[in-house]
Amino acid sequence: MDPVIYVLDTFVFVGIFALLSLSLNLEYGLTGLGNFGKVAFFMAGAYTWTLLSRAGVPFLGCLAGAALMAGVLGGLVTFPALRLREDYLAIVTLSFGEIMRLIVKAEKGLAGGVWGITVPSAFAGLAATPRLVAGANLLAVCATVALVFAFLQLLAHSPYGRVLRGIREDDVAAAAVGKNVVLYKAQVLVLGSAIAGVAGGLFAQYVRFIDPYMFLPTVTFFVWIMLIVGGPGNNWGALLGALVVELMNRGTRIAKDYLQLAVDPNNMQFIMFGLLIILILFYRPEGLLREGPVKTAARGKVSRWLSSS
Amino acid sequence: MALLVLTNVSKNFGGLQVVSRASLEVPEGSLTGLVGPNGSGKSTLFHLIFGLVRPDGGSIVFRGRPLQGLAPHAVYGQGLAFAFQLPRLFFRLSVLDNLLFAARQQAGETMARALFSRRWWQRQEEALAEKAFAVMELLGLTRMALEPAAKLSGGQRKLLEIGRALMADPVLMLLDEPAAGVNPVLARQIYETLDRLRRRGLTLFVIEHRLEVLFDFADRIYLMDAGRIVLSGRPQEVLADPLFYDTYVGAVTVNDTA
Repeated sequence: MDPVIYVLDTFVFVGIFALLSLSLNLEYGLTGLGNFGKVAFFMAGAYTWTLLSRAGVPFLGCLAGAALMAGVLGGLVTFPALRLREDYLAIVTLSFGEIMRLIVKAEKGLAGGVWGITVPSAFAGLAATPRLVAGANLLAVCATVALVFAFLQLLAHSPYGRVLRGIREDDVAAAAVGKNVVLYKAQVLVLGSAIAGVAGGLFAQYVRFIDPYMFLPTVTFFVWIMLIVGGPGNNWGALLGALVVELMNRGTRIAKDYLQLAVDPNNMQFIMFGLLIILILFYRPEGLLREGPVKTAARGKVSRWLSSS
Repeated sequence: MALLVLTNVSKNFGGLQVVSRASLEVPEGSLTGLVGPNGSGKSTLFHLIFGLVRPDGGSIVFRGRPLQGLAPHAVYGQGLAFAFQLPRLFFRLSVLDNLLFAARQQAGETMARALFSRRWWQRQEEALAEKAFAVMELLGLTRMALEPAAKLSGGQRKLLEIGRALMADPVLMLLDEPAAGVNPVLARQIYETLDRLRRRGLTLFVIEHRLEVLFDFADRIYLMDAGRIVLSGRPQEVLADPLFYDTYVGAVTVNDTA
């Protein structure tokens, strides 16, 4: 394989996973919502994009459609679970992911069923030079990551972000000091799912062929590993986690061709990720990057008063 | 004129009648105390008022409007604030953020304005910072302003819980044992502060076991026992009633030696 394309490909995947871990950071890192069905919304975005682009809808239309579909599903699925205890949200989202995958797999008429479905390239004009196609994809992914990151960073360091963090710390107390907790949680899950849908759309467009086996629950767990390693509550941490974990994933895949191991190298990789999580949780439970304070004008003002007195 | 009127409020927890046809009034501008033995239903009554628990029956009326059936955030929206008995702080947020969180009507609290009206809410943040600073000065928490609330001592947590209710600028403040777990001097200071706020128009409804402080400041006392309001009156009247000693003060002494 062309090494240039391999490098570009790696960073396209880093970017797609960065979108997923940013969305999980909004839900879990900031608001404390354990969404274990990330892959469901990723998949919803991927299939929506595929069907729309096969129908001739242009790039941005597909992107909006993927976000909308995933966001609506996110609201529908999670809203009933929001009034229950937190662990129910995890159960509901986890099972929803599998249910959706099995439906898509079984319904052959919907999108190819178990055989999968091909996705038209949005960069068909560049098809003669694969490096340009990969480059264009990387550009599209990077631009999306930058936009989503800026958006989430603005939210995280505003009174809105403070409300989310308060809900994470104690949602009864947040309600008792006047915040409509259910509304905030619903907004976060719709927004988080929409971002995951965008990631799914970009993924489908890039790989050009999707089937239900690409959307196993392991995708969700992979995103969780990224966020836990990078630092929940910190958007930079979500980016860093996606980079570190995806590079480790690629690095070990290359290394296994050159190493003689006593265990199956694929299993070795799983063992390694397990070990990574244990080490992080033991020695750096806050992740590689700490959460840090909510940065608004109030903090600056008070710290100036403190230093002057 | 009574600000808050409870009529025959009841709550049953799985067969246990925790609050039983409780009726009471909190006059505007008063400091009304609620006392009674442990387990008599005082905290539950506060939770009922604040919508944290739904009553089985009866009516709760605040400024002529019914509160029962409202969610806690809506009750807060009516002008009430609540300080929990065991502080429920946002422990990983700074002391400052804990206070700012409780302020009413912040522009930056909706997603759209947080993104697109930054100037507006940043100006608000600066104004709120001044208010929060004054509250921290009042409660002696200024030094800890930027530290996470988890670093506070037990007494300081209690103070921050009260501070959060103060930031809400309520009409009626419900305080569940504000002076529990703080030293005697500070306990008196807390009540002196509350008394000052009361003279500025705040109404207070307080659960308290530290009678020596409460009775110095309260206008009216309700005594609760086994879910019922058994006695009410001005502090001197309550102190003069034998029932007060039978149901409560005696019981406290027994608990203390046990």
